[in-house]
Amino acid sequence: MDRRVTVSAALATTLLCGACGGGADTDEPAFRAALLTSGPVSDAGWYAGAYEGLLMMRDSLGAGVSHQQTRTPAEFDEAFLAYAADGYDLVFAHGFEYQDAALRAGRQFPEMTIVVSGGGRVTENVVPLVFTLEEGSYLAGMMAGGMTVSGTVGMVGGVAIPPVQGTFRAFEAGVFAVNPDARVLEAYIGNWDDVSAAKEAASAQLRQGADVLIHNTDAASFGVFQAVRERVAEGEVAWAIGMNRDQNGIAPEVTLGSAVIDIPRAFLATARSWQAGELGGVPIYVGSSRSVIDFVPNPAVLDAIPAGLLEEVDSARVRIRRGELEVPRVHFVEGETEEG
Amino acid sequence: MPEILALTAFLEASVRLGTPLALAALGETVTERSGVINIGLEGSIIAGALGSALGAIATGSPLAGLLAGVVSGTAVAACFALFAVVLRTDQIITGTAVTLGGLGFTGAVYQARFGTTGTALSLPTLDAVSFPGVARIPVVGSAFFSQPITVYLAYLLAPALWYVLFRTPWGLSLRAVGENPDAADAAGVSVVRTRLHATLVGGALAGLAGAHLTLAHTGTFSEGMSAGRGFIAIAVVVLGRWNPLWVLVAGLLFGTASALQFFLQTLGLDLPYQLFLALPYALTLAALAGWVGRARAPAALARSWPPQQ
Repeated sequence: MDRRVTVSAALATTLLCGACGGGADTDEPAFRAALLTSGPVSDAGWYAGAYEGLLMMRDSLGAGVSHQQTRTPAEFDEAFLAYAADGYDLVFAHGFEYQDAALRAGRQFPEMTIVVSGGGRVTENVVPLVFTLEEGSYLAGMMAGGMTVSGTVGMVGGVAIPPVQGTFRAFEAGVFAVNPDARVLEAYIGNWDDVSAAKEAASAQLRQGADVLIHNTDAASFGVFQAVRERVAEGEVAWAIGMNRDQNGIAPEVTLGSAVIDIPRAFLATARSWQAGELGGVPIYVGSSRSVIDFVPNPAVLDAIPAGLLEEVDSARVRIRRGELEVPRVHFVEGETEEG
Repeated sequence: MPEILALTAFLEASVRLGTPLALAALGETVTERSGVINIGLEGSIIAGALGSALGAIATGSPLAGLLAGVVSGTAVAACFALFAVVLRTDQIITGTAVTLGGLGFTGAVYQARFGTTGTALSLPTLDAVSFPGVARIPVVGSAFFSQPITVYLAYLLAPALWYVLFRTPWGLSLRAVGENPDAADAAGVSVVRTRLHATLVGGALAGLAGAHLTLAHTGTFSEGMSAGRGFIAIAVVVLGRWNPLWVLVAGLLFGTASALQFFLQTLGLDLPYQLFLALPYALTLAALAGWVGRARAPAALARSWPPQQ
């Protein structure tokens, strides 16, 4: 019996690794970099961008690369251990949820540098990479506030972790900046992959009168776009806004634009500063001042957006970059008071 | 009037969210009645979801997609049955492996077919079919009788499976296998074949549940979109006391609780959203503690047969 169990477990493991594979180059790489995600890289968003970043490190910097999808905190520890044992130099743990496991692994493996996207604690070899996506979300909020006809807009989130709450607070502020009387709805689905739940949450907001929806739900976001599409098919006016990556192509006819992080660019810059020996001890902030964060209007629907609103968004972008306009942020990095 | 519309929309959402749970749980009821607990249900659901998406894309017909979903779900259950029923591996461990394998394998196929970083599919969906008379009943009419075909399949399967399980010789032998496989075997019933059939029926309905998610509900696919429904369906079986009629009710009840959480969040009440997300689970716990109390699982549930040496 034991043997049979082993066989079936081995079969499952083989199948799993088909999904999470990725491998190192055969030539001796310049250095070895790994990516950990807790969701599928096929989300066309947050994780997809990280995966592109990993491939860019391979192509531009000659890194040997590997990716693993880990679902549970126990798997986080295992993955760090495995990469440390394999001699990986740099591990990108792409999400707030890796924080604790990264600190444990960082203490245990001082040779390895761990970059935690949206992380909150700093040591010599555990470095938070903080995307100030709030800046893009704020501009997205201005767009939503200017485009809403009903005066109600909605936000659908996965789990209310600080980086997600940050984007939503900034979105709200953007909405109120152009439309002080607007109503902003907020719902969370409790995970990142339940497309049905995301669609129901979005539909519930649309029925409450919301006509512009933004999401921060990774792979489940497809459900938000579908809900908006169906609403439009019913003859109502409704818009979606993408998040984390340029998602204007997902549902081009109903998408106003996307609050975008250029994750590949941020990863590449981080890897370069590691190569230069400058990484460690301080958190890295990347925002619109370094052109990593932006709001990208959807070129396919530009005709539907009033020119005045586009100008307003453009001038706010310039003011944010110059530091003249402060966007509200949820501070979650240890010891953080002012934006770096 | 807006309140009535909101109530109707809420009930529609309840039925949409409850149907995949009811379908998967109906199949699992048949499986468990034969003494097999298939924890790999989640694997069948996600395979059904991807299979139906691929089928619908290949043929352009959502009905053909539905069929492809059923076939995919059955195929995954066949893997489980091969190990757990024929080779007599531990059912819980095998089921867990099948769930993990199903999630990983569908992810690999999806990425191979639609690109590593994903494509938001927009699939041909099953239209709602209205029953002219009953659909016009105020409030509940369109919620229950203006729905895609998968919903009606759930309505029909519940009484049909009840009849098969409790009123036909095949159902009697199936239940005998689940209660006392030795006695069933002595009476000339093939325990292995009966369990095999029951497991495949379970997989087919889980595949249908997956197809509902993609083709009747979301119109898209993403990795891991089954999101634990296989495990909730197993709880729904217990909540429905292994009786298909109650299982349908339990599935829809769970759907109502899920719809309610989004409805309440949207009202903007100043309460932690986790409270609303916990609602369906709290309801299940209450129901399990209260009314299921005296219900008894099939006596040979999760035991391989013939027993290991």
